[in-house]
Amino acid sequence: MTQMMSRVMSRARSRPQPRTLLVLLACAAACVAPLVLPDLTFFMRMVMAAIVVTGLSILMGYSGQASLGQGAFVAAGALTVAVGTTRFDLPPLLALLAAPAVAAGFAALVGVPLLRLHGHYLAFGTLALLLMVQTAMSTFDVLGGALGVSGIPPLGVGDRVVVGQLPYVYLALGCLGLVLLVSHRTVHSRFGRGIQALAGSQTAAESAGVPVNRSKVVIFALSAGFAGLAGALSAFFTPYVSPDSFPAAESFTFVIMAVVGGLGTIWGGVVGAVIVSVLLQVLNTISSQPGLPPTAAPIMQYATYGTLLVLALLFMPRGVVPSVDAGVGRLLTRPRVEVPG
Amino acid sequence: MSEFITYLVTGIALGSSFALIGSGFVVVHRVTRVVNFAQGSLAVLGAMLSASLLAGRLPHVVGEMVTVVVCGLVGVLVGVVAIGKRGTPPLISLIVTLGVSMLFSAAIIWLWGQDPVSPPGLDGFTTILGAEVERQRLLVLVVTLVAFAGLSLFFSRTYLGKALTASASNPFAARLVGIDVRRMGLVAFGLSGVLGGLAGVLVAPSNALSFYSDLPMALGGFAAAVFGGLVSPLRTLVGGLGLGVAGQLTAGYLNGSYQTEVALLLMMVIMIARSRSFAHEEAK
Repeated sequence: MTQMMSRVMSRARSRPQPRTLLVLLACAAACVAPLVLPDLTFFMRMVMAAIVVTGLSILMGYSGQASLGQGAFVAAGALTVAVGTTRFDLPPLLALLAAPAVAAGFAALVGVPLLRLHGHYLAFGTLALLLMVQTAMSTFDVLGGALGVSGIPPLGVGDRVVVGQLPYVYLALGCLGLVLLVSHRTVHSRFGRGIQALAGSQTAAESAGVPVNRSKVVIFALSAGFAGLAGALSAFFTPYVSPDSFPAAESFTFVIMAVVGGLGTIWGGVVGAVIVSVLLQVLNTISSQPGLPPTAAPIMQYATYGTLLVLALLFMPRGVVPSVDAGVGRLLTRPRVEVPG
Repeated sequence: MSEFITYLVTGIALGSSFALIGSGFVVVHRVTRVVNFAQGSLAVLGAMLSASLLAGRLPHVVGEMVTVVVCGLVGVLVGVVAIGKRGTPPLISLIVTLGVSMLFSAAIIWLWGQDPVSPPGLDGFTTILGAEVERQRLLVLVVTLVAFAGLSLFFSRTYLGKALTASASNPFAARLVGIDVRRMGLVAFGLSGVLGGLAGVLVAPSNALSFYSDLPMALGGFAAAVFGGLVSPLRTLVGGLGLGVAGQLTAGYLNGSYQTEVALLLMMVIMIARSRSFAHEEAK
């Protein structure tokens, strides 16, 4: 995985033009889309998923750890906003800023024992964590209880509050940009090279002076911070938070998006989130046509998830972004190879 | 006292199903190093299939047997998808089987709908030490014990079982003496299908299962398998029974809704406490 990554990156460095163009194009499309799309809820959910999946992609791709319970940290962020604003009268803006910190802190706290686990054990451990968070939410009234928390105030400073959905969508897009920037800076730092070494061989990284356990906790906390940010945004966008807001299936979806997009790539999370969200939206529209049984929707959804995951892993194990990148790279380099021959 | 006996028997019955599913995890993991996430779905499939077969007038025992055999074949299919492609790393195979379990959910909703299904089992109650106990729950324990005895005989006395053990302990050496390790992996998946189907057939008469039950079943089974370090069927049995009883006692004396969480918490504590020895096993 690490070798593959470094190869992809060295190729990216050697020809920056098409990539930069693509990124600018994506940014422009993202800025225009909310103005023309009829359904902003769908777009908002997609952007929030992209934020979560960007973190998950880094966690899974670089540290070689899988988390099946990323929803636990989305919940932590959403609860910070919900409980903070309704019970403790925190200003909404402060709650939004605190949410990623709380989620990251929570992850660092549980990460210290949890990250001693590897592979399968960690996957199941994180899933168990999510289920426990759900139980805690429905049990303790402070966290909303079975009814959940409602009446979350809109975002704003003083008397000026945000009205409508559009500002939240642009706020979420801004957050996604920030998350991508932070991810890029992290991966290309000294710390980032450390975690790449860690994915290759833990023992080798440790003997080369990488603080293995601390690095794993930091990257875990970073991905949880992103998830918490998405959770906080969702709590403002849909001002209601309950234990049912974070089903295990959603956390699995994040994993699917990360895998489809390409693990350990900065843009893989965004690409995966867009592909899977759009596909599901299309299928939802088809399955809600009159004449189809009510079970058509869940059948199609599960079948799509399953097929996507199996096919993507078996036939495009590196994900869309690295595969397309390699394909484009081959197309671009071919003439140069043929000229001297 | 009679209350305690009831909780104990209920817990043992539930724990037996965890043990059966857990041993499915163990059988597959020993040979292939893959954790088969679809293990819970196989149990749900078993429950659904036996309900349909028994309603279609197949007599008891025959209906259950057919179900278990079909689940075994489906298990082989899962194996083909999960390990059929050479060089798939185990963690990727785990996510592949997660995808397979979603395909199971789609198929189960399509064929049987979304409602929980409970096939007929043994009716009536028996009195043990003054406590009324469902006979089906006793049947679960008896069949589980027989299944584990059969499993241990299979591994120690038959060629196929020995070949499986050989592939598990040293795949390279096994290949040298002419054992097709990949085929052994598929056999292991088939066996795990049989065990999962058995669990579904046995549990569903007293606890109705739906497509939604695959996750709790898989988690319970994995928790039991963790007691056995994902390699020992016998310790999985002990772990499963312990988890089931602990869960039921919590449900009975403290609060009914926490039994899953108790099981999960125990699982995490054990995983973390034993993480060092797990790392050693994986390094081998």
